[in-house]
Amino acid sequence: MIQVLFFGPVADRVGQSALSVDYQPELRLQDVRDTLAVRYPQAFALVCMTAVNGQHVRDGAMLLPDHSEVTFMAKFSGG
Amino acid sequence: MSDLTAVRLQTEDFSQDAEIAALKASSKRMGGIATFLGCARDFSEGREVSTIGFEAYGAMALSEMQQLRLDAIAKFELLDARIVHRIATVTAGDNIVFIAAGAEHRVAALAACHWMIDELKLRVPIWKKESTPQGDAWVVPHP
Repeated sequence: MIQVLFFGPVADRVGQSALSVDYQPELRLQDVRDTLAVRYPQAFALVCMTAVNGQHVRDGAMLLPDHSEVTFMAKFSGG
Repeated sequence: MSDLTAVRLQTEDFSQDAEIAALKASSKRMGGIATFLGCARDFSEGREVSTIGFEAYGAMALSEMQQLRLDAIAKFELLDARIVHRIATVTAGDNIVFIAAGAEHRVAALAACHWMIDELKLRVPIWKKESTPQGDAWVVPHP
């Protein structure tokens, strides 16, 4: 199972702060993004950064191990 | 330089005096300390703002802030640095973020402080939502 987290404006548009995606071998980060972007297009219009297990990831081809925590994030506005 | 309180996310307000005292306590060689205090405004983008709420991806935000402090210490040869960010709902005038950089001389301290707040805005997963008479809106970052 892949745990997907949303925060701030992305969570607002998704309507929830977390959901799960079934794990399958050879699952890539981009696969998860593509699937969810179809389901939540308004939310993913804001997504410009992605993290896997709390680390910034820019390579959509990254293979996701089972039990990964993936976060799709809008531009930050702290400070 | 291993002070576990040097980087924090917290709900409650912080004391600039206490943070500076903690920074100074880390080294007697410190000749320059630069600080940045970010606070809440009551006006933004042409609208009155009543409150600002902050949300963070807590574990990642703290990890990024810790790495940011270490990067600043290495890049500017600081003696120490501190970063505190509130995750709370605040009103005009309230403190939001505090950054302090301590170095042997002022040039490194000032440059490091400026660099850290700029990097924090780019690297640390925190979002703010402003409440206005026209409704609530997530803030779109400025360059």
